[in-house]
Amino acid sequence: MAPPVRYCVPGERLCNLEEGSPGSGTYTRHGYIFSSLAGCLTKSSENGALPVISVMRETESQLLPDVGAIVTCKVSSINSQVFLSDLEPSLNNPVLFLQVEIYKSFRPGDIVLAKVISLGDAQSNYLLTTAENELGVVVAHSESGVQMVPISWCEMQCPKTHTKEFRKVARVQPEFLQT
Amino acid sequence: MAGLELLSDQGYRVDGRRAGELRKIQARMGVFAQADGSAYIEQGNTKALAVVYGPHEIRGSRARALPDRALVNCQYSSATFSTGERKRRPHGDRKSCEMGLQLRQTFEAAILTQLHPRSQIDIYVQVLQADGGTYAACVNAATLAVLDAGIPMRDFVCACSAGFVDSTALADLSHVEEAAGGPQLALALLPASGQIALLEMDARLHEDHLEQVLEAAARAARDVHTLLDRVVRQHVREASILLGD
Repeated sequence: MAPPVRYCVPGERLCNLEEGSPGSGTYTRHGYIFSSLAGCLTKSSENGALPVISVMRETESQLLPDVGAIVTCKVSSINSQVFLSDLEPSLNNPVLFLQVEIYKSFRPGDIVLAKVISLGDAQSNYLLTTAENELGVVVAHSESGVQMVPISWCEMQCPKTHTKEFRKVARVQPEFLQT
Repeated sequence: MAGLELLSDQGYRVDGRRAGELRKIQARMGVFAQADGSAYIEQGNTKALAVVYGPHEIRGSRARALPDRALVNCQYSSATFSTGERKRRPHGDRKSCEMGLQLRQTFEAAILTQLHPRSQIDIYVQVLQADGGTYAACVNAATLAVLDAGIPMRDFVCACSAGFVDSTALADLSHVEEAAGGPQLALALLPASGQIALLEMDARLHEDHLEQVLEAAARAARDVHTLLDRVVRQHVREASILLGD
């Protein structure tokens, strides 16, 4: 028999700081843990340490990416050291630093998988990296406007004109390959 | 105005309520599927709708982004059919701007903005029918909408208006009582801690009476909290049943 679910609302006092440690969806004030979301109370029982008290909502809304999150973005412009791109509508503009030749890795209009390494500060935007095998260009169009097919980690070929272009291609995850 | 007594000798108001009695409140959360959060509230005949989007990236000029917290953007709008006489209200007129600013101050006090730096939270409130206490209805609707969107808040924000007639403080004024011209106070409260998010009055009231009026408004706001609490718990319970917990 499942234990009765306890629902809580913002401002509800959950417990003392001695009985639990605050998790997501909570905040602390005057030595007590209060809920900051309307949802279900969950206690994770740790061995030895205090249980982590958190409030979970059923539908986790899509928030901004955190450090280490993989994001999909579209390249909007390139300069010799960095390129600027537009992320999906819900994400911020990132700036990417690369050591290799940019023009041989990305072109404007490419769709790129990247990982967030820093949220940036007041002046700059997100910092992303593609320095992994699974990160890089996913979709790219050739100069003739046709979507290209990846042939190696550094080349893509246009199926219409058969010209090869250099890109830093993302390795496809094995579960997505159709054989 | 001769003939209109706001408080009878037996202690009844124009609509039959007692001095400290609230109007009937009905509220619903999640009325729009496409917005992140939405809510609809009816306080007597005052009807307000609130819609929340966010947190998301800053729209427009990126220079407005705050490095350590989220930007709360509130917009108030009043439907042309909301008052007794149909009145076209252009966007950006003084009353809408002032109301939007008040709502922003109120919610910046309650939303935990430090959790979402350099992002923006949009709160849009529309009054569909105005029968007094529009600020309070907007705040209550917006609280429910922010909760529906899953944005972390310190506490509920519950608001109520109050007035002063014949040495008695009245809570939750209707349009008739507001139009009579007496002092009116709008209070937005964080019930758990008793902190005041916003207190607004632009009429003349003797300072000896202020405490009494403030107490009436605070008590009414706590009653609103009891009701909104019940609405939110009901909604969360229904949502989890639907998702098959």
